[in-house]
Amino acid sequence: MNKLKLLWLQSLTCNGNSHSFFNHSDLFSILAHFELIYFPLIETKYSLQDVLDRKVSCDILIIEGSIKNSLEKNGVDIKELIEYYATKAQHIITAGTCATFGGMFKDYDSENINGFAFNRDVPIDNFAKFKSKLISLPGCPIHPKWLSYVLLMIANNKFIPLDEKNRPQELYNITIHTGCIRNEYFEWKIDTQGFGHKEGCLFYENGCQGPFTKGSCNKILWNDVSSKTIIGTPCFGCTEPDFPKERLFFTKTNMGIPQKMPLEVPKRAYLTITGIAKSFKIKRLERKLIEYKNDN
Amino acid sequence: MIIKKLIEKVEGEANLNFEFKDGKISSVDIIFNIYRGIEEILKGKAPRDALVITPRVCGICNHAHLIATVRALEDGLKNSGLEFTLTQKAKDIREFTLICELIQNHIKWLYLTIYPYLEKLLKIERSDSYALKASYVANTVTKAMAIFAGQWPHSSYAVVGGVTCDPTYLDTIQALSYIEDAIRFYEKVVVGINLDDYLSIESISNLDKLGGDFAKILYLLGKNDFNKIGKSFDRFIAFSDSKISKKAKSIITTVSAVEFKFVKEYEQNGSYAKGVKYKNRYFEVGPLARAMINKEPIIKSLHKKYKDATITRVYARIHEVALLLKQAKEILQNLDVTQESCILDSKIDINNISGIGAVEAARGSLIHKIEVENSFIKSYDIITPTQWNLSNNAVAAKAMFGLDSEEIASFVFRTFDVCSVCTTH
Repeated sequence: MNKLKLLWLQSLTCNGNSHSFFNHSDLFSILAHFELIYFPLIETKYSLQDVLDRKVSCDILIIEGSIKNSLEKNGVDIKELIEYYATKAQHIITAGTCATFGGMFKDYDSENINGFAFNRDVPIDNFAKFKSKLISLPGCPIHPKWLSYVLLMIANNKFIPLDEKNRPQELYNITIHTGCIRNEYFEWKIDTQGFGHKEGCLFYENGCQGPFTKGSCNKILWNDVSSKTIIGTPCFGCTEPDFPKERLFFTKTNMGIPQKMPLEVPKRAYLTITGIAKSFKIKRLERKLIEYKNDN
Repeated sequence: MIIKKLIEKVEGEANLNFEFKDGKISSVDIIFNIYRGIEEILKGKAPRDALVITPRVCGICNHAHLIATVRALEDGLKNSGLEFTLTQKAKDIREFTLICELIQNHIKWLYLTIYPYLEKLLKIERSDSYALKASYVANTVTKAMAIFAGQWPHSSYAVVGGVTCDPTYLDTIQALSYIEDAIRFYEKVVVGINLDDYLSIESISNLDKLGGDFAKILYLLGKNDFNKIGKSFDRFIAFSDSKISKKAKSIITTVSAVEFKFVKEYEQNGSYAKGVKYKNRYFEVGPLARAMINKEPIIKSLHKKYKDATITRVYARIHEVALLLKQAKEILQNLDVTQESCILDSKIDINNISGIGAVEAARGSLIHKIEVENSFIKSYDIITPTQWNLSNNAVAAKAMFGLDSEEIASFVFRTFDVCSVCTTH
């Protein structure tokens, strides 16, 4: 059986998605399902010049980086090159928030820098043109296992249920909050009191966007071991079209209540629950989780 | 005669335009094309947002950018009169995660750059699955790192006053197992002897003890004149104190102090990357610079015989992995998790500050300068290691002058561990 040809093309990028994917613990068994045409970290039989000269073919196109008008590599217009291979490919994967929505570097030249099929959350021409074969995988960077899930689903000829932005539902229909080890503190509205604590929730004061950010960082852990919120860093919403927002370490509040609600939760419902939860004092959750004492 | 080469897989690409006179390279233009304007993006942002933005300069040394940013912010706060000292725990955890990033970088460079391109240059049939080796180590050490930093790449766990994590011994024991795995790999595969025996090698007369991939690469380099070529200015500089470096410079083996005020950037024609000099002179940064400044015995011994030839430069980077693995283990064994992780209030105002943060990243000294006015970033300046080494007429260029083949020169260029995305940022 002929293996599907996999081509990884970079536009305006930090290379973080390449390195993140390279960190996959099963990288080589995943790649064994494909013929690797080009990947920025691994030697293949084709050179970048072959890719630029349109000498290679591809079944799956992975795009890394935001798309900038008139950006050239060795005299070749990268936007045109990506669209050329996109037309040839059977599947197009935008790997990362830059390739999907425009991402962080869009801020520098917003008019000329976009995602492949979106300008932030607004679909652009490529969306209509390539919708039937496009899969959006936002994240800054992409989680290696989100990409391997999509690649293996394609290799096994399985149907991937997508949402309205062509994100796989199995990966993005939960929030970062799902599975967070601080959830008990969220339930009882107990703040973490600054950084560097095992205890407490980061949603109330320290900017955590987990409850309204789509993604599965706390279901499929990073580097197989952890996540931002597990180690006390707020979620910065890096899978969202408007990443990065501003003042990322602070929660915008209104009368002491976070301005932005957990996804699709009505403010009235949130306030009611909060009022009740806060009226109780749960002693176990007020204490330090672990007392390291040398004197007993 | 001009020969143009596209150098790929260097965290992006570089164009090298070689000029030959009488069969030898007389000049080389090093051009990096992709500019993202990160310093511009930072202007007008809240100061702490830089902790999230600067790691996105680079997919492979993102953590070094985070540490440089947090140091710049803390330096600024201190300059404005706030007195504080990080706990040993916070310092150790930052040092540990940074070490992990350096290890994965050096091992990727060895197996994804040096081995494949040297074999290609020497027309040797590919003899090993190098990417598999690189992936194993990168995977293992970034797991150890993520236990504290949450993830790699693109963590923002270092905040003003310390770190956001509050690890238990459950965490440190797990991380230690990963580091021991990486040490076992280094012993069995890279150097072929145990770590302590390797670290006891202090002179080139004892290099016959070496086995593994390291011995193989030294043999190939020595046999093909890389102990003679690739020499550059023989001037070295580093800007951050750590166990593997000092803030100092080394010229003709004399080590002396340095000050930030003598570091000057300048524009270069035809490239988005700025050049940088110290007191108007080019200096080399990176593992070789750190080892020369720190007077590492085996590097001094190599340097005595081969000066700053390619073989010395390659050796220094692979050698540094041994030093880093040993340190990583020591930090975890001695980490006191009972101390505070972060000693400053998370809401402390950063209104009007000016600070500098330096860090020894995989490729050398990384310097961040921040100015904050009325709670917003007024200016942000990033000077990356590759700007020192890869500007026109600077260290890598000089190492290529006089060579008679653009293929050999391109390999010499790669031994500097080129990072295109960092150079332009």
